[in-house]
Amino acid sequence: MTPPAIGATRAAAQLYLDGVSRSFDGFKAINGLSLAVQPGELRAVIGPNGAGKTTMMDIITGKTRPDAGVVLWNGDTDLTRLDEAAVARLGIGRKFQKPTVFETHSVEDNLRLALKAPRGVLATLLHRRTADEDARVTALLEQIRLAPQRQDQAANLSHGQKQWLEIGMLLAQDPALLLIDEPAAGMTDAETMETAALLKSIAGARTVIVVEHDMDFVRALNCRVTVLHQGAVLAEGSLDHVSARADVIDVYLGR
Amino acid sequence: MTRLIDRRTGLFLAALALATLAAPLVLPTHLIPLMGKYLCYALLAVALDLCWGYAGILSLGHGAFFALGGYAMGMHLMREIGARGVYANPDLPDFMVFLGYDHLPWFWWGFASFPYAALMALVVPGLLAFVFGWFAFRSRVSGVYLSIITQALTYALLLAFFRNEMGFGGNNGLTDFREVLGFSLSAPATRLALFGLSAAALAGCLILARAIVTSKAGKVLVAVRDAESRTRFLGYRVEGYSVFVFTVSAMMAGLAGALYVPQVGIINPGEFAPANSIEIVVWVALGGRGTLVGAALGALVVVALKSWLTATFPDLWLFALGGLFILVTLALPNGLLGLAARFARPRPRAEVSA
Amino acid sequence: MRLLTLCLALWLLPGLALSQSLDDLVARLPLGDYADRAAVVDQIGRTGDPRAAAVLEALLDRALEQRNVDGRVVRVTGGRGAQTATDVLTGEDLGPVASRSTTAIRVNNGLRRSIRTALGMLTLADPDPSRRRAAAEAALRTPDAEQIDALTDAMAAEDDPGIRQALSWAHAAAVLASDAPVADRMAAVETLSSAPALTVQSALNPYREAADPALAQAVSRALDAAASRQAVWAQAQTLWFGVSLGSVLLLAAIGLAITFGVMGVINLAHGELVMLGAYTTYAVQEAIRTQAPHLFGWSLAIAVPLAFVLVGAVGVAIERGIVRHLYGRPLETLLATWGVSLILQQAVRTLFGPTNREVGTPDWMSGAWQLGEMTLTGSRLAIVIFALAVFAGLLVVMRHSAFGLQMRAVTQNRAMAANLGIRTGRVDALTFGLGAGIAGLAGVALSQIDNVSPNLGQGYIIDSFLVVVFGGVGNLWGTLAAAMGLGIANKVLEPWAGAVLGKILILIFIILFIQKRPRGLFPQRGRAAEG
Repeated sequence: MTPPAIGATRAAAQLYLDGVSRSFDGFKAINGLSLAVQPGELRAVIGPNGAGKTTMMDIITGKTRPDAGVVLWNGDTDLTRLDEAAVARLGIGRKFQKPTVFETHSVEDNLRLALKAPRGVLATLLHRRTADEDARVTALLEQIRLAPQRQDQAANLSHGQKQWLEIGMLLAQDPALLLIDEPAAGMTDAETMETAALLKSIAGARTVIVVEHDMDFVRALNCRVTVLHQGAVLAEGSLDHVSARADVIDVYLGR
Repeated sequence: MTRLIDRRTGLFLAALALATLAAPLVLPTHLIPLMGKYLCYALLAVALDLCWGYAGILSLGHGAFFALGGYAMGMHLMREIGARGVYANPDLPDFMVFLGYDHLPWFWWGFASFPYAALMALVVPGLLAFVFGWFAFRSRVSGVYLSIITQALTYALLLAFFRNEMGFGGNNGLTDFREVLGFSLSAPATRLALFGLSAAALAGCLILARAIVTSKAGKVLVAVRDAESRTRFLGYRVEGYSVFVFTVSAMMAGLAGALYVPQVGIINPGEFAPANSIEIVVWVALGGRGTLVGAALGALVVVALKSWLTATFPDLWLFALGGLFILVTLALPNGLLGLAARFARPRPRAEVSA
Repeated sequence: MRLLTLCLALWLLPGLALSQSLDDLVARLPLGDYADRAAVVDQIGRTGDPRAAAVLEALLDRALEQRNVDGRVVRVTGGRGAQTATDVLTGEDLGPVASRSTTAIRVNNGLRRSIRTALGMLTLADPDPSRRRAAAEAALRTPDAEQIDALTDAMAAEDDPGIRQALSWAHAAAVLASDAPVADRMAAVETLSSAPALTVQSALNPYREAADPALAQAVSRALDAAASRQAVWAQAQTLWFGVSLGSVLLLAAIGLAITFGVMGVINLAHGELVMLGAYTTYAVQEAIRTQAPHLFGWSLAIAVPLAFVLVGAVGVAIERGIVRHLYGRPLETLLATWGVSLILQQAVRTLFGPTNREVGTPDWMSGAWQLGEMTLTGSRLAIVIFALAVFAGLLVVMRHSAFGLQMRAVTQNRAMAANLGIRTGRVDALTFGLGAGIAGLAGVALSQIDNVSPNLGQGYIIDSFLVVVFGGVGNLWGTLAAAMGLGIANKVLEPWAGAVLGKILILIFIILFIQKRPRGLFPQRGRAAEG
């Protein structure tokens, strides 16, 4: 897949950030960040610690309000006005760096809670299980390779299994965009490569933005890379392209 | 699939039914209201467990909802005294005549009607919980902060109800009740009926609570308790769920209070004391939070212990209660039911992670 | 001028010469007519002799009589038939007297007035400044034109500026009461208007309707000025009450600011630690009463370090025994420390009984000072100073001591601190102990203004938590601001809404405030706080 040109128009982009800034007590975590991601794209966002990656995700998902700038979804929805739940209902799923699943629920219940369905109190109170839901849960369990653990408490899963379960929960939401924060952290090499393959298979039908430190993992993703530095985009392009740039090398090695 | 009535709940309900039927046969009449009082406490514990055990909302002000329900019922019972009070005033309760009221304050209107009072016993605590919860949960006040402001809430109500100007009998509260729906409160049959109603309310609320926690909404509540932000990012509006369960729980507490007052014959501002509310927490913690049945059992055990100790070794009661708090938090994180489960099964299944 | 010399002589030679002259004057009392007697009385009044008042009072009571045998002036007491005589100056018992053996020294109304004036003069000339001040204030309260001269003389002789001021007000009031020319009385109004507002009001109110329009106008102007001045001072007084209550809140909350604010531990036994501090004070005073009563003035100075160490040790025990097993589980900590609080309450109740215990206030704290037109009581002033001192001390410990550095290191990054060789367990225990020790200090202070009973702590626990949360957890300055703000708000609301309703309003305000800004007035800074 050939990545589209940088600077795509705001109408064409699925996710469009322009001039976004946010500071915490004078510290500019995000400083004039602009980013455009096309539907179906797989994008890696890299950058040293404190570059603003997590704050960027917080802003997109409605957890943090920007001080300035535009954040648009599908060219017309202003994400800065929505809370987390509303952003999630638009079809934006987020995976945390530390795997976060519902530990006292079974693997199956974790997925059932994530399945795309009405989210209101009354709807869940009166909810009845359907055969269709059962089938979707079974399919997801196959996809994330946790079918044998279906009835296990999530607390008893291994670290890697929890990462996968969380990705499975994201998929159950049937999102248009997945934001994934350091999925390879704490994984074995084999798990890392499997995760890369899984994300590549997800992209296309959905848009995927991966924040990552692990260069081998980013290389395995084989996608367009955005380098963040001090809250703004430093470079964008293929991994080979950005890693050849002197300023990027400075940022990564000069510290 | 979690069953509505699991083994534990079934056993408890069966035992409750049996005990309720047997009580009039084996117990002297004067003990019946005491048993009814215990059942009200058990219901209060179930109410608190619903919001603390499942949604992680540790309310240190549930005594306030209980007391408000009690006051609503107490107001009706005051009105039912009618002209038979000391001052023989058909429109004003004795304390109002004593304090020089010349007409009934507006918030007493309608309490002469039993259905209205019964409704208010649910609506007032529910409304307070809804408004309070709506503000608190929307601003994402949680954990200990929420606990502290719920404590401040009941403390503020305590101070308010002590004031004669509030129109709720001040320090003395409401008492000297005579009849409910025309039945004398001291008649054995009335006492039995109230006891039976308490048991039925406990059973009914237990089943309702089970229905909530076994529904998908109940799973969302546990999800909120375990990983709130994950729940939000899945698209659930957490505050809605928190307000819902807090309000339902407060209404159950109000019901418990409404059943409690005719059986003990008095409601006064002391019920709002923060210490009372914290005591409810130890019932739940001892029985096992997040088990509902455990909460009810915990209440029965602690309250029975309290009755016995305060009668035989009054100095020991606070030592015992204090020790219980420490013991439960340090040694019995899953309460008595957790302990029982550990003996029953070789591998413990942690129902609740702290 | 003669008087001034006399007065000076009296100051300088309070010995023989003075008593001689009083003796002479007393001997001359029975002589002559009422006018002569009045002159003598006047002179007695000017002696300033401490014994003179007794003579004049006896004269006023018609108890002074002259012995027929030797002409000696004696005081006769007792009923008819059982009368005894004593020497009016020495009090020497002169035995029983027959009713016919003495002649009464008679007084009429004119003489009585002279006697009263002379008595006023005497106290105005008393060597004890506090009695002179009292006399001046009495003269101001009951202005009497007759006293004008006496007051003029006293003002000239007075060298204490404060008393001279009081005398000048009394003088002005007396002038106002006299039939002096309007100009003089206007000047008197002018002089009086510098007096405290309440004095102005009581002294000038009777002249609001004065016959002379200029005078009446001046009076009402002075009264208006006094009223507005009084309003300002009343606000200052309210502010002071607020600061005083704020200091109590600060003392109660500051220990929590450590355990809750710095360590994040919810210690519901905090109030009981305060209560233990108060009981330490009680125990120290009891020991002093039975063992060394002369040390009573030092009891608080002894109790302060003792309470800090004792209650701090209890805190360390609570941390090591219970709290340390519950780190990261705030709700469980809350419940366990509640259990501790019940046990401490009952333990104290068993040991000391359920009733209030008497804790005395040392003399140096019990007085009151006048600042402008407001009153500062000694105990309140001491608590304000003590609270601020504890606060400042704590700031120094946190900022500038090795322990403070370790404490901040552990709370910010436990693992890193441990790697640097800091014994985190020890730091935890000491930090908790510090918070507890400060609670003990608060107890010493609160024993001075509150009932020392096992329930003492319960009255403070909710307020303390609200102060810490309202101020912003982890921010000592926020705790200070919150305590003072809430204290003042409480006192400002009190006259308007009543004490209880005022407190309820404050509680509701804080509940709403916390819901609006869950992190308090001064939240901890940084991105971490967003989490």
